[in-house]
Amino acid sequence: MSTLNYSKTRQAARWFDVRRRKAGMWAYALNRITGIGLVVYLYLHLGVLSMLIQGQSAWDAFVGLARSPFYLALDVILLAGILIHGLNGLRLAVTGFGFSAGAQKALFTILMISGGIILIAAALKIFQI
Amino acid sequence: MLTVPVEIFRFKPGQAQRYDTFTVEIAETAHVIDVIDTVWAKHDPTLTFRRACHHSSCGSCAVRINGAEKLPCIVRLTDVWNGRNPIRIEPLRNFPVVSDLLVEVGDFFERMSAASMTITCEAEGFLPLTVDTFAVAGVLPKTVELPDNLSRFNRFEQCIECGICMSACPTMATDNKFIGPAGLAAIYQARHKTDDPTRVKHLLGLADGEHGVWRCHSAFECTEACPQAVDPASKIMALRRELALRRLRKMFGLRI
Repeated sequence: MSTLNYSKTRQAARWFDVRRRKAGMWAYALNRITGIGLVVYLYLHLGVLSMLIQGQSAWDAFVGLARSPFYLALDVILLAGILIHGLNGLRLAVTGFGFSAGAQKALFTILMISGGIILIAAALKIFQI
Repeated sequence: MLTVPVEIFRFKPGQAQRYDTFTVEIAETAHVIDVIDTVWAKHDPTLTFRRACHHSSCGSCAVRINGAEKLPCIVRLTDVWNGRNPIRIEPLRNFPVVSDLLVEVGDFFERMSAASMTITCEAEGFLPLTVDTFAVAGVLPKTVELPDNLSRFNRFEQCIECGICMSACPTMATDNKFIGPAGLAAIYQARHKTDDPTRVKHLLGLADGEHGVWRCHSAFECTEACPQAVDPASKIMALRRELALRRLRKMFGLRI
């Protein structure tokens, strides 16, 4: 029987399709987006650290650049990714073993509000640097 | 009467997929299945779809309405139509499309059988219902003494095998061997109906496999989409807890 099947790429895109979906799916998609972002950041971070090989002047030049508002904004975005991924990871660890699975939406809301508060406080500190 | 635009996914073997738009004259009290029926009866008899009971018992008519998995037989037209844009009706995801809204469900049913799905609840056979216990309204029994262990069974036995949870699950999209929410909930149910160690080992072995409970990534969409309140996600998490506890006990040399 000839049937319509979609490609793996198109199917994988569904991980990020939150249209008409509920909080659990938003958390699922956010965890994947932030996870990919944090892996990319890890390699960027290692690349930046490798500047130390070029001596103090190269490092000092980068640090000067890193204090610009643009880079500080990137730091805030990085922190947002860490908070979303980490706090959502806590929720998954709890619900994933059968504890409070029925309260997963409430947990997501509480943790994301907590993360938002931490992020605002941290952003204010970051821009005071 | 309402004049409702409806956009329906079309596919026939050997042809490119497309969406056809129809304008349907239909009563305000209609359900979405009536809209599909009207399109078939008055506009295009080649439209292929599946339906049977019209009251959410058979699960055969499951489709996506405006992107969300629903049983069109219990969704009122006015609940999904905003009065302007066409209602979009598409087949379930994660199933091969045979024709238009019709998907291939053979593999799904085989999976459900392998997962020990039972449709009827054993406990229903001995519920103490008699004719003279019916209430004045003539519908509901006055009292029903449920067995102590019924509560944990009776939700799942509402599963009508509609496949909606399989369509809503994002993990199913990339692992077509994943047992899926319905199958895992069936395993949970079967496991809690038996204390036979051999049977328990077999069921937990199914759940613990590469495509079992650990493949679930907790989107909880199965529970959100289920029209029968089966709550497959909680069943998956409960199976995980049992498997994890068994491993811990084994690790510390305790009796499982």
